[in-house]
Amino acid sequence: MFADTFALTARSLKKWIRNPAAIMPGLFMAVFWLALFGSSFNPLNLVPTQIGGIALSPVLVEQIKSAMNSVFGGAANYITFLTAGIISFIVIINMAYGGIDIVLDRQLGYLNSLLSAPISRASIFFSGVMQNFVKAMFIAALTFIVAVLLPNGLQFGTGFGALNLLGIFIAFGLLTFGFGCLFTALAFSVKNVDSLVAIVNFLAFPLIFMSSAIFPLGTFPSWLKGIAEVNPITKASETTRMLIVNGNLTPTQLSALAGNMIYLAVVAVVLATIGYLIARKALKAE
Amino acid sequence: MKTNIIEAKNLTKTYKKTVKAVDHISFSVEEGELFGFIGPNGAGKTTTIKMLTTLASLTEGEASVVGYDVGKNPADVRKNIGVVPQEFTADDELKGAENLFLSAKLHHVPNDAVRKKAKELLELLELEDAAQRQVKTYSGGMRRRLQLAMGLIHEPKILFLDEPTLGLDIQTRQKMWTYIRELNHERGITVFMTTHYLEEADSLCDRISIIDAGTIKASGSPPQLKEKLGGPILTLRLIDGVDLTDLLREIQDVSEVAKKGQSYQIKLAKPELAIPQIIEVVTKRGLKISDITLVKPTLDQVFLQITGDMMRDGSANGDWFGQRVLIERLK
Repeated sequence: MFADTFALTARSLKKWIRNPAAIMPGLFMAVFWLALFGSSFNPLNLVPTQIGGIALSPVLVEQIKSAMNSVFGGAANYITFLTAGIISFIVIINMAYGGIDIVLDRQLGYLNSLLSAPISRASIFFSGVMQNFVKAMFIAALTFIVAVLLPNGLQFGTGFGALNLLGIFIAFGLLTFGFGCLFTALAFSVKNVDSLVAIVNFLAFPLIFMSSAIFPLGTFPSWLKGIAEVNPITKASETTRMLIVNGNLTPTQLSALAGNMIYLAVVAVVLATIGYLIARKALKAE
Repeated sequence: MKTNIIEAKNLTKTYKKTVKAVDHISFSVEEGELFGFIGPNGAGKTTTIKMLTTLASLTEGEASVVGYDVGKNPADVRKNIGVVPQEFTADDELKGAENLFLSAKLHHVPNDAVRKKAKELLELLELEDAAQRQVKTYSGGMRRRLQLAMGLIHEPKILFLDEPTLGLDIQTRQKMWTYIRELNHERGITVFMTTHYLEEADSLCDRISIIDAGTIKASGSPPQLKEKLGGPILTLRLIDGVDLTDLLREIQDVSEVAKKGQSYQIKLAKPELAIPQIIEVVTKRGLKISDITLVKPTLDQVFLQITGDMMRDGSANGDWFGQRVLIERLK
């Protein structure tokens, strides 16, 4: 089964590598979000230094700024806060729209030629997940690099190192894989691209907006906050922020990190199972 | 005695309880046979192939391929069959050889055997020069040949060809026939093919079934089916004279005579015996023949007689297209 999954994944990635322009839309999206959206907003600029002509005491202003900063998880600027959210956005959208290739494979009859071959249905499904997983994670890595390279861009806390990077990779790996399974299963279940786009738009955007990807939880109304707190995108984003802003983690932060990772792993396993069951049904003889 | 490599009993496929694509058909194919399903578009040919290749479930009936039940042991069926679909399913972005190797991997051909087998197939199908080119540069004929190679790389016992020459020009089509014949005759691969080109079925198949509107209307070898129409027809035109109808009817090997003006349409049971006698009858009376032609029955005539005069191929008067769209929607 693994050999079949690998062969099919390799087929798709080979095509991708031969067409480097294919990553441009994803990359542009990352640059626009970070450079234009991210640069245009700095929460600290909202703090007034005077009200009605009366100057506020600098100590008070600093205190308000620091309180506001903690709402943003201690990020040095908005881009530092936003990067984790944009990476979430990028991986979710890539997994969601990556399914279009799968729908086209069905329409062109390619899927039938796989179905009449002596390979397990699971390998057909998981190769569909893996091909988009690799693409999404690659674009996520590029997004991260863009964030670092931007003027006044992403700023690491002291002590940020390879382990922090590994932690970020694992958190997004789990998020991408889990939702990838769900979206890929949907792609196997629909008959045309329009239906897929309708479904994934309906799922992906609320999922992103009902999380702390773009704005901090502290600004949410309570009903939305309750949803956002259990949203895996929030977990992956918060974990990443913690690892970026604080180079070295305190024991409390480490246990929070472990809790988030376990949460993301459980969600990934659950979504993979649901996804596989949906796909198995969709891949049955018509 | 040869064994049946395909056995289908009351094969039925109904989509969403309303559209009967295939309606209780039974047939068998012997090992080593080149068997054809012919019929107009939308007759149920592709649906039959889909059921036999495990892509579609059976609503009713049963079928076994290479001794395995298609519903109960689909995995075993898949191991033993090669499928060349109607659509171009080779990957455009990949090279010909890459497509072939991928197909080999998916059919678990051992690595050390792949190169040799691929080389041999590329040679046989005259694709060696194109193997390292992307498929998007291929012509229609080359794509069909590549797909044939992809369907053969794992040395299947039986090859399913769905409209193998659809959209090909005459020369390319005949070339394809040569390959198919060679695979069947020289290598002993059983072939189950569908086509709506009658001359293709006539020239290639050992045995055919004519299918229309989901049911089999006739089966047999092409000569047998033509025989059913009655023998060849001799048209004889005389330069005036007496009526010979009764005299001609008396000839033993003539089965029917019809007269129209000075023309006689004579259906012959055994032309080699009947023709000399007819000539004798005519010349004995000193009559002169102004025109004589012998027409052998063609598969086209058989087909038209069986399926009615409506050839739904590419014309707007049939509803095969509607039927196909409907099935696509119901799936």
